[in-house]
Amino acid sequence: MTERPNTDTDSNSDSNPNSKPNTAPEENTTSSPSATAADRPETLPVSAVATLCNDVVDNVSRVIVGHQEAIEHAVVALLARGHVLLEDVPGVGKTMLARSIATSVDCDFRRIQFTPDLLPTDVTGVNVFNQQTREFEFQPGPVFGNVVLGDEINRAPPKTQSALLEAMEEEQVTVDGETRPLPDPFTVIATQNAVERDRTYELPFAELDRFMKKLRLGYPDPAEEAELLGRTVGRHPIESLEPVTDREALVRARETVANVRVEEPIREYATRLVGYTREHARIGASPRGTISLLQAAQARAVLDDREYVVPDDVQTEAPTVLGHRIETADRERDRDRDGDGDAIVAEALERVPIDP
Amino acid sequence: MSAGSRWPTLGRGDRDRTLSLEADGTIGPDAFRVLALGCVLLLTTAYVSVLQNVTQVVGGTRTLLALVVATLLAATILARLIRPGTALVLTALVAVTGFIYYFERSGVGAAVVFSAGESIVADAVTLATGLELLRVVEAGVWTLAFAPGPVFLSWYLAVRGRYGLSVVPGGFALLFLVLTGDAGSAVTLLGVLAALGAVAFGDLERRGGSVAQADAIAVLFAIIVALSLSVTFVPGGAGTANPTTAGASDGTLEATIDSASERSGIAGEVDLSPEIRFVVEADEEAYWRTGVYDRYTGDEWVRTGQSQPYAERALEKPAGATETMRQTVTVRTELGVMPAAAHPLEVEGGIGDYTEVSAHGQIRPATTLIEGDTYAVESAVVEPAPIALHDAGTDYPEEIEEHYLQMPESISGEFEARTAEVTERTETPFETAVAIERYLRTSKDYSLEVDQPEGDAAEEFLLEMDEGYCVYFATTMTQMLRAEGIPARYVTGYTSGEQISDDEYVVRGTDAHAWVGVYFPDHGWVEFEPTPPQPREAEHSERLLDAQEERIEDEAIQTGIEDTPDADDEDETDGDDDPDAPAHNPDGTDAPGEAGEDDPSAENETAPEADEPGSSDTGDDPNGSAPTTADDGLTTPVPITRELVVVASVLFAGLLAGVHRTGATVQARQLIGLYWQRPSDDPDRDAERAFHRLEGALARDHRPRGAAESARSYVTALERQNADLDPRVERVLERYERAVYGSGVDRAEADETIEIVDEITRNRLPIVRRDGN
Repeated sequence: MTERPNTDTDSNSDSNPNSKPNTAPEENTTSSPSATAADRPETLPVSAVATLCNDVVDNVSRVIVGHQEAIEHAVVALLARGHVLLEDVPGVGKTMLARSIATSVDCDFRRIQFTPDLLPTDVTGVNVFNQQTREFEFQPGPVFGNVVLGDEINRAPPKTQSALLEAMEEEQVTVDGETRPLPDPFTVIATQNAVERDRTYELPFAELDRFMKKLRLGYPDPAEEAELLGRTVGRHPIESLEPVTDREALVRARETVANVRVEEPIREYATRLVGYTREHARIGASPRGTISLLQAAQARAVLDDREYVVPDDVQTEAPTVLGHRIETADRERDRDRDGDGDAIVAEALERVPIDP
Repeated sequence: MSAGSRWPTLGRGDRDRTLSLEADGTIGPDAFRVLALGCVLLLTTAYVSVLQNVTQVVGGTRTLLALVVATLLAATILARLIRPGTALVLTALVAVTGFIYYFERSGVGAAVVFSAGESIVADAVTLATGLELLRVVEAGVWTLAFAPGPVFLSWYLAVRGRYGLSVVPGGFALLFLVLTGDAGSAVTLLGVLAALGAVAFGDLERRGGSVAQADAIAVLFAIIVALSLSVTFVPGGAGTANPTTAGASDGTLEATIDSASERSGIAGEVDLSPEIRFVVEADEEAYWRTGVYDRYTGDEWVRTGQSQPYAERALEKPAGATETMRQTVTVRTELGVMPAAAHPLEVEGGIGDYTEVSAHGQIRPATTLIEGDTYAVESAVVEPAPIALHDAGTDYPEEIEEHYLQMPESISGEFEARTAEVTERTETPFETAVAIERYLRTSKDYSLEVDQPEGDAAEEFLLEMDEGYCVYFATTMTQMLRAEGIPARYVTGYTSGEQISDDEYVVRGTDAHAWVGVYFPDHGWVEFEPTPPQPREAEHSERLLDAQEERIEDEAIQTGIEDTPDADDEDETDGDDDPDAPAHNPDGTDAPGEAGEDDPSAENETAPEADEPGSSDTGDDPNGSAPTTADDGLTTPVPITRELVVVASVLFAGLLAGVHRTGATVQARQLIGLYWQRPSDDPDRDAERAFHRLEGALARDHRPRGAAESARSYVTALERQNADLDPRVERVLERYERAVYGSGVDRAEADETIEIVDEITRNRLPIVRRDGN
């Protein structure tokens, strides 16, 4: 029960996630030149990563009241090299979540406030002519950070959005024909307002797919809100937040996650789940969705101090990973209708057998 | 599997299934057609074989088979030429023609048929309510009339592919024969299975079914076989009550010779009951006749024709010189017969209303006579002088010749040759009869302990056997006479019995007997006795003695005091020397009678095939019956017949198919696997199996795991609901997950897992749990 050849399953790219856990380092060499096989980071023991994650979650929880699950999901995405889309009404702590995570892992935190007049170069950076050296010098944009917060991403025009999305997908930025790698780790946490849709540029369905997870925070319950007020009124706790780990450990933790064992029954189960969404929706989850699902499940397994993925990991991750990748017929007619995808995922989890 | 076939990514399984289906489909409709036609043919064979059984007795087998084959050929040809409606009309015509012929032959006349339709209906109803074909006077003609209709119609429809309909005429024919009681359970079963097979295979042909679906047919077959073994609806098919003595068990001579009201069987070893049957008050002794039989099948005697109430049929006085004899019979036990000296003429007393008269002039009660019933009969005894019989000649009436010369077709030339040899020097029928009588008396020994012969009883007795009892002697003599062209018939009843006063005779079960009636023109039926009298008396007295001794012992054990042994001893010694010895103390005769009534098991005590449960249950005295049944009651082996093998194999095949269809094997394996697991070479598989066992146990105790429910969430949910869930379950779960999804478990871990599951599951077993507590 080790690796299975890719030809074992279907010919489409679903086969990639199946083998990815064990071959991930090789794949990364193509997409991120900085990480060649030679300087591949060493892995951490699973238990150490589990402790690290729990520390991060606990640390973030000092700032973010409630939302324990959302914090965990965000940490999972961070470990699984994914990006997060937070969709909610303003003022529930989206930005604070991104900031506190970045601080906890001692990473470079950047923030881009998307506005209708934001230009792509405002995101990626621009070549500036240096009078003294008589040369163009690259002024890195805010995207060159470890944790990038793209605030209200749906307010910017598509061209600007796509600059960020390209960076997310390829972990590199191309300015004036020159390609520059982004720092490692690189995680985007984008937020999107669920209100005022009239003056926004809704993210295209295809681009939503690039986010590993879409999360909703929701309002805190009364007790939590009271505690929130107690903590934040006066001096905001984010000011005093201390890192619990460093960038180096995060990189190694990500390597550990990539090496988590995903056996064939799990791969087949994920395939069946995604297949179900394809059969029961107008557009089901993409192969990229399947890859993301297994990557998230790997991170979830580590969070649970396990070096192999069990079906429960997949089940925990499926709603946030797959929900936004599914387009139902209803949503086509009524763009405000969200959550149908979630319903289909819930249905799939209820009906798809774990053992065939 | 459902998921597997749904997902294109798991296409391998799909392909396999398609291939296997195609493989099944290669057995095409042609094979099913052949099977269906075969089944129709089998059904036809079933009821034709019943008819053939009849013709083998009364003659005409060759005609019948030729008729059936011709009908089949005609049906095959006409199936392509004529339409179903025409065929139906044709069938009706054939049937009507056949039955007109039958009525002409049986002397009723076709004209009567047209004028009196209700009598035909009555005839059919009589047959359908259990009158056997063998009892029909013109049975041979009847079969010829009956056969062509259903044979033609069913084969015609089958050839045209209408299997379902084709079963209908065949089924009706078989049903009719079942109702007449001629079709035995084996033939009926075969016919029903064939009918079912025809419909099923025909359906498979039409819908293009596969062989895989044939297991359903096998299951149906088995169900029918099982039902037929447990439910008996065939009249007279099973458990024929003994009409002679209501309580008597099988195996006695009386039960054999009067095995049913219209037939007299021929058994192997028989026993005699010492019980007193009736007491006759008459001026002289005589054989007390209870039955007359005319048709011989090879292994039993059948009485043809129907009985009529005494009031409607006058008893005919024999033609020759007769002597009138008056007798009064007092019944001393339940009796299904009405013993009277030969040629009863008049029944006196109220009992006449309950008396029936057979076609042969034998009286019998319409209901069972009970103890204390008394009736008086006036009989005409034929006692012609030998010289008169010598001169009687052979001018037999046609009616007599037709009925009393019947012999089974299977009779061999050897039998006839031996008969001719015995009667070589005789000139008149009377001399022939005397010669045969003497021959049998002198050449054969008397014994009640014989094995029932396989083939024709008369033939076997004459040619092979050295000893036998009255049934064999009388049967053989009757058949020998018939072989010589002398009308003869088989008569059953009782010998005169024990004379206890001038005009009083006590008749016991030991006096049951069979003899021969021979017809002489102008004289009527004269009785002959082929059984050697002295050995018979000796044997029968011995039986009586045995029974009495045992009873005395029983009584001695029971009461400790016995005051009548002397009287009984006297009986026995007297009986040994001279059965007709007079002057018996009435007390002495009463004593055994009473004892017999008190202790019904007494009559079974020497029975070689003692009906053990019956006798010991009804017996008041377990001491008496226990030793004797132990002696010889348990030695009867279960005969393994071909029939039994066939039935058993059909049942077995059906059982297998049913098991296959319901998946019981899988369930059984799961149940066994729940409590027992043998470690394999692969620790991972062991851990996995161990968890599945645990899952099975949890499913029984709580609820089964949902298909979409992960093992962990299942266990978690159970833990939340049941606080007392074994904490080791968690450990088994962890091992299972690691074995299936992780790096695997090592040998020690797998063994430990199996051990844990063993403990948990076995605690569920009630006995072990009690021990554990």
